[in-house]
Amino acid sequence: MRARVPAVASAAAVAVVLALLPFGMSGYHQALGAKVATFFIAILGLDILTGYTGQISIGHGAFMAIGGYTTAVLSRDHHTNLVLTMLVAFAVCFVCGLLVGLPALRLSGVYLALATFALAVSVPQIPLKFSTYLGGSGGVQSSRTVSHLWLYGVSWAAAAILFVLAWLILRGRTGRAFRAIRDSEVAAVSSGVKLPVYKTLAFGISAAFAGVAGSLYVLGTNGFAQPSEFGIILSLQILIGAAVAGLGSLWGVLVGAVFVGLLPEISSSVPLIGSAHGQDVVFGLLVILVMVVLPTGVAGLFQRLRRLRAPT
Amino acid sequence: MVELARKLALPERRLPASPVLVVLLGSCVFLVIGCLQSTIFAQQTVAGLAQGAVYGSLALALVLIYRATEVINFAQGEMAMASVYIAYQLIQWGFSYWEAFAVTLAVAFVLGIAIQVAVIRPVQHKSVIAVVIVTVGLFILIDGLVNWKWGGAIRFMPAPFGGRVYHAGGVAFARQDLGTLVVTIASVMLLWALFQFTKLGLGMRAAALRPAAASLVGVRVNRMLAVGWGLAAVLGAVAGLMAEPSQFVLQPTLMQPILLYAFAAAVLGGLESPAGAVVGGLALGIFLNLIGQYVHFVTSELRLPFAFAVLLAVLLVKPTGLFGHGKVRKV
Amino acid sequence: MGRKGRLLAAVAGLALFVSVAATAAFGAHQADPGITKTSIHIGGTFPLTGVASAYKTIPAAESAYFAYVNAHGGVNGRMIDFTVVDDAYNPAQTVSAVQQLVEQSKVFALVGDLGTAPGLATWGYTNQHKVPQVFLATGDSYWGFCAHKACQGSPKPYTIGWQPDYPSEGRLYGKYIAQNMPNAKIGIIFQNDAFGKNYITGLKQGLGSKSNLIVDQEGFNATDTTVTQQILALKAKGADTLFIVATPGQAIASLVTATKIGWSPTTFLANVSNIRPFLLAAAKAGANLDGLISSAYLESPILDANRPGMVLGKQIIDTYAPALSSDWAAGDSNLVYGLGVAWTFAYALQNAGKNPTRASLETALHSMNTTKNPFVYPGIAIQTSATDNFPLEQLILTKWSGGPDGAAHPFGQLLKSGR
Repeated sequence: MRARVPAVASAAAVAVVLALLPFGMSGYHQALGAKVATFFIAILGLDILTGYTGQISIGHGAFMAIGGYTTAVLSRDHHTNLVLTMLVAFAVCFVCGLLVGLPALRLSGVYLALATFALAVSVPQIPLKFSTYLGGSGGVQSSRTVSHLWLYGVSWAAAAILFVLAWLILRGRTGRAFRAIRDSEVAAVSSGVKLPVYKTLAFGISAAFAGVAGSLYVLGTNGFAQPSEFGIILSLQILIGAAVAGLGSLWGVLVGAVFVGLLPEISSSVPLIGSAHGQDVVFGLLVILVMVVLPTGVAGLFQRLRRLRAPT
Repeated sequence: MVELARKLALPERRLPASPVLVVLLGSCVFLVIGCLQSTIFAQQTVAGLAQGAVYGSLALALVLIYRATEVINFAQGEMAMASVYIAYQLIQWGFSYWEAFAVTLAVAFVLGIAIQVAVIRPVQHKSVIAVVIVTVGLFILIDGLVNWKWGGAIRFMPAPFGGRVYHAGGVAFARQDLGTLVVTIASVMLLWALFQFTKLGLGMRAAALRPAAASLVGVRVNRMLAVGWGLAAVLGAVAGLMAEPSQFVLQPTLMQPILLYAFAAAVLGGLESPAGAVVGGLALGIFLNLIGQYVHFVTSELRLPFAFAVLLAVLLVKPTGLFGHGKVRKV
Repeated sequence: MGRKGRLLAAVAGLALFVSVAATAAFGAHQADPGITKTSIHIGGTFPLTGVASAYKTIPAAESAYFAYVNAHGGVNGRMIDFTVVDDAYNPAQTVSAVQQLVEQSKVFALVGDLGTAPGLATWGYTNQHKVPQVFLATGDSYWGFCAHKACQGSPKPYTIGWQPDYPSEGRLYGKYIAQNMPNAKIGIIFQNDAFGKNYITGLKQGLGSKSNLIVDQEGFNATDTTVTQQILALKAKGADTLFIVATPGQAIASLVTATKIGWSPTTFLANVSNIRPFLLAAAKAGANLDGLISSAYLESPILDANRPGMVLGKQIIDTYAPALSSDWAAGDSNLVYGLGVAWTFAYALQNAGKNPTRASLETALHSMNTTKNPFVYPGIAIQTSATDNFPLEQLILTKWSGGPDGAAHPFGQLLKSGR
């Protein structure tokens, strides 16, 4: 009870800052803020899957692609309200996640990682194959584009809603089941947790979050969905963000999202390493450094600090 | 040495299970018949063997690291690519191709060890995720470094086995492709000999499978892991140097598509089996070429997804791959 | 008034002054961004890294030309400040780069943005914000057709291409084959995207009633590094004429593989890959180039070395981009391309008047009419009008001769795209 009050207070503080931030920023920075929110949602989803049920996925870019294309196609063909398309993306990706989660039950660890990796590489090829309806390499353009402020507002609103949703799911019975599965599958089964149900459910929820992130991602690129936007690097960015955030905790997710969303921008303005390659070198080095120094991510760091401060 | 192996109760290498052998033999028979029947079938098979040898040689490096250190190295392709650029630079400085080849292998060995010690060792006992992320970070870092130093422009390297083409029965065999095949098979055999007959190989197997017991009998486990990475880096360099002539040009994206196919090949053959990696690579190369030739639905966009469909099918049906044994999941 | 009173009055007066000035500033007519009395700031997105980075010599040549112009007084007294931004050929990055150039760097116009996919991702934005998007470095025909027609939802009057478009080029090859090789069996190997498919559409249009000469077409992905399976399939279908629609990497692979399997079809090559250093490398790797037919719309640093345009070009590269001198010596037409585009922009800017605005630049861009561009093939006119949004529409066919040390020699007459 006691620990929850400061948590709610800090969440409220963060929310207030985020709400006021865009009014001092240029449109370009608002777009950056929206990008951070997009990563926030995707990393949140991955955290639920990998951090809470221990299933590794390097394939969340695939779910983002599905969500993004859902938004673009619905908008292009039916001029659907954009927020409504995000809800549809959520639902569609939830189902896709369940479909992926079922065969994934048979895999674990490195094998699951490879299988999801395969997914991330293969799904963006689908619009190329079915190019008449899905635009091929020419992409799909939504019928409406949005202003930077709109995108910022909607992205962070979605992020807040999904954060609360994640928090509610994880503190309930589902969350307890997830944690039991992560800690020991054998023990979980023996205490009555239906493994297939919860593991698949985790995939579904996680994919649904990534789907919404995908919608926002496409809206952030002028409403234009194209296969080359969803390369493997996107899945890797989400994974890196989740690792930096620290798995198994919701609070580090913001840090992870900032790390992945803003670092390329920041490093590109530093003169010596300003060239595109310098960015990659710095990013790669930082990723390695963060993992070596903080293998349990920012959340792990918070935990350690809390333990230090707690009375013995 | 045999005593050591017995003491550590290391599993003996067995031949793959009989259903797998039957499938492999059946496929070989099918291929031979097909080649005799149709020139284009034969040509696509030969081309598939050539490409498959490249996939298999990178898969070999992946398998070695996995077997020696239980890590999937996502940076393997970029390490291989960087090695090729090192060779390129040596040739620019005046070395002959084979001199540059030898020096590059030595440099790759040292760099592989350095990477294991500096980057992997600090995280290898933490979570699986941490190690995966670190290799991803390495991928990005190495790619950035190569682009920084040499830029993205296309460059050209001499072909190690020359450009001659032999023709037999209407089918063309490029000397370069034959050379790649020979080098790949020789690599597997050398690796097998290393594991089977040398103390170092035994030590590496022990360090991977029974680290606690191995250190008790005097095996320096950390050293074995580092050597494992060094050797894998060497194999990767060989894979890269064989891949470059197949593409005729050198650019930083050299190994990226190959890495993806190499993963599929490694899983197909069995992540713990070097022979499986090469057989998996060859099989994948042939399979993709024949499918592309005869099944019209499989156009070029579906080539990579098809390779991954193979990977997924293997993971779901027999996760240990064609040549693998034993359980996969660790509870 | 007491001291406090005076202070108060001073502060009030200052506040009043500041607010009036501010209102005046905001209320006043906002001049176009990126242009001052002495300079004009333009930007462009290019693949400096990643799969298409072979083309990064283009912005380098453009920068060199602008440096030359600046050294000679600029355009109407304004120095051209050209910012080159990398997008790694990833449309998501292009969007971000373009937004940065337009909103942060506040450029006057975008010049030379490279790539179809990047262009499609950003032209909605640039047209919405009325930012001139000038001389896209891609031959897709969208940039020519959509000035007044609605494409992807709306017309795009602010976007214009430069080079002869791909369907036109394909059409010219088709016409050539229909006239000179009426019994050819054509096999096409193409990059499986809009670029490749548009070429094929043009080829079929040019072949007209003879489009049944096409016996097979095999696609490959932009990221593929080998095309052996496709070349083998084309040979197996009995093709004796090969049409290669590929960028340099896969073009080299196609040429070498064809020779290696003992196949010597009459080969046509899309001019995006008709770049001498790459073809020389193909020859070195075993390809037989003699007889290779392609096209050109630029002068060649090798064949036209004594023409004034190439003399000037060599001078500019040697002076302002000496790192590229060896590329020039090898006949890299990307450099000539860059110089040609930059010349055309300077020309349009000159015609936009002594005090250019985005609107006057657009007018100038849509009323171009000159044959004075020294870098394009002699006789090629750069022409646009209210109904013609294609600046270059002429090509000359070339045929390679001279073996592994030769070059693509122009033959025949200058051909118009025949839209």
